[in-house]
Amino acid sequence: MMTSPFLFMARMIRDALLVIALCLFAGQALAGSRLLATGGVSQIEGAAGGGLSPWGVLAGSASEGELAATAFISTAPLSDYTLTAGGIALNVHDRLELSLAHQHLALDTLGGRLEQQIAGAKLRLFGDLLYHPWGVWSLGVQHKRLDDGSLPRVIGAHDVQGNDIYLSGSKLVFAALAERNLLLNLTLRSTRANQGGLLGFGGDLEPGRTLVAEGSVGLFLTPRWIIGAEYRQKPDNLSFAREDDWRSLYTAYFFSPQLSLTGAVLDLGAIAGLEHQHGGYLSLQFAL
Amino acid sequence: MKRLVLALAMTTLLLAGCGQRADHATLYDALGGRPGVEATVENLMYRIADDPTLVGFFTNTNIDHFAASLEQQLCDLADGPCHYDGPPMDRAHQHMGITNADFNRLVGHMEQALIAEGVLLGARNRLLGRLAPLHGEIMRRQSPPAH
Ligand code: HEM
Repeated sequence: MMTSPFLFMARMIRDALLVIALCLFAGQALAGSRLLATGGVSQIEGAAGGGLSPWGVLAGSASEGELAATAFISTAPLSDYTLTAGGIALNVHDRLELSLAHQHLALDTLGGRLEQQIAGAKLRLFGDLLYHPWGVWSLGVQHKRLDDGSLPRVIGAHDVQGNDIYLSGSKLVFAALAERNLLLNLTLRSTRANQGGLLGFGGDLEPGRTLVAEGSVGLFLTPRWIIGAEYRQKPDNLSFAREDDWRSLYTAYFFSPQLSLTGAVLDLGAIAGLEHQHGGYLSLQFAL
Repeated sequence: MKRLVLALAMTTLLLAGCGQRADHATLYDALGGRPGVEATVENLMYRIADDPTLVGFFTNTNIDHFAASLEQQLCDLADGPCHYDGPPMDRAHQHMGITNADFNRLVGHMEQALIAEGVLLGARNRLLGRLAPLHGEIMRRQSPPAH
């Protein structure tokens, strides 16, 4: 179990090295040919996406016959909590994305912490972000498991693990606004997760799955620089505390195909009874 | 949050305003007209020649004919005073074994060539927007890649 951010970082670096070693072993060159920024950044659950929500694209810049890997570290200091997330993703031939992520929520006001592991897979069904008239569409799963589910159980969560299933579509519209390219994303997710899973899965109000919608728009001011907004609908399973939808205004800058930095302001609403969880968000992504 | 939304909306409006200029001018003009397109295509040819992954596709190609045909097509697509009378894109590229990776590389070179010739971002985006729909046609008749 993770105890400090240092251990957390160390493990991420180890995982990243492992992926690279695997790719080298497989005799495959990493890094792809897809254009800058077409792999998005890393969302907090480890999939390629925006900050909050997965996108239809797969991680990195791999295309047919290519491999790519990404690693990210993100932090979101909120009014009463601090969320830290990190993980890695591997893109196989722009067909399959496999990801591992770890989330750590420090309960700054209440005391204590919640941690979960997320293993994800995303399959590109069809399309292309730039060239297909309907964009690119992918089907994903995220298997989430809490390290220690005792607190979520106390507040009424039914389970300490769960699986999100989602369908994501993304489309870049060239020269859509002021001759700038516009990025559109839509995700439909079936989930039982409370606060993304950090408060467990299912509850007394709703033990089963809820279908939620997530969406974002972004405008590429330059090929390297995008600004936009995201929205993520959430289920509301626990009578113990109301759960709100998540919102963000974000900007991301791609320094190179290997390095991007994302910043955002978040409005995550009420979390575990504490209202108005606003805060910043910073995320660094490395890609190979 | 509200103030940020406002700032975002204002920036967008401002940018939209700037985009309105020169509506009467064609995309062809924004690409630099005939000299601009010729220079871009020449620049692209050098980039293809320097790319070991792509150059192999063109070993039996008459480059002068290819360049002239591409110039004509870009001129036509950009509302210039030309009519593309070469073969349709699916026939021009059939059974070459072009992969999406190859396609992405070529578009990347095209973008770099446009930048090198001083074509502004707005015009580049508009041109890419007109080239993007050709992907389906170009990739329609590809036999499976040789490797
Ligand atoms: C938006 C992308 C593309 C456009 C607009 C385009 C356009 C053209 C045009 C106008 C021609 C000349 C047709 C003729 O007059 O005979 C041509 C030929 C050719 N293209 Fe493309 N092309 C594109 C992508 C590609 C890609 C990705 C490859 C391979 C990697 C490729 C390889 C070739 C080759 C080898 C020829 C010459 C065929 C011959 O020898 O006659 N093209 N292309």
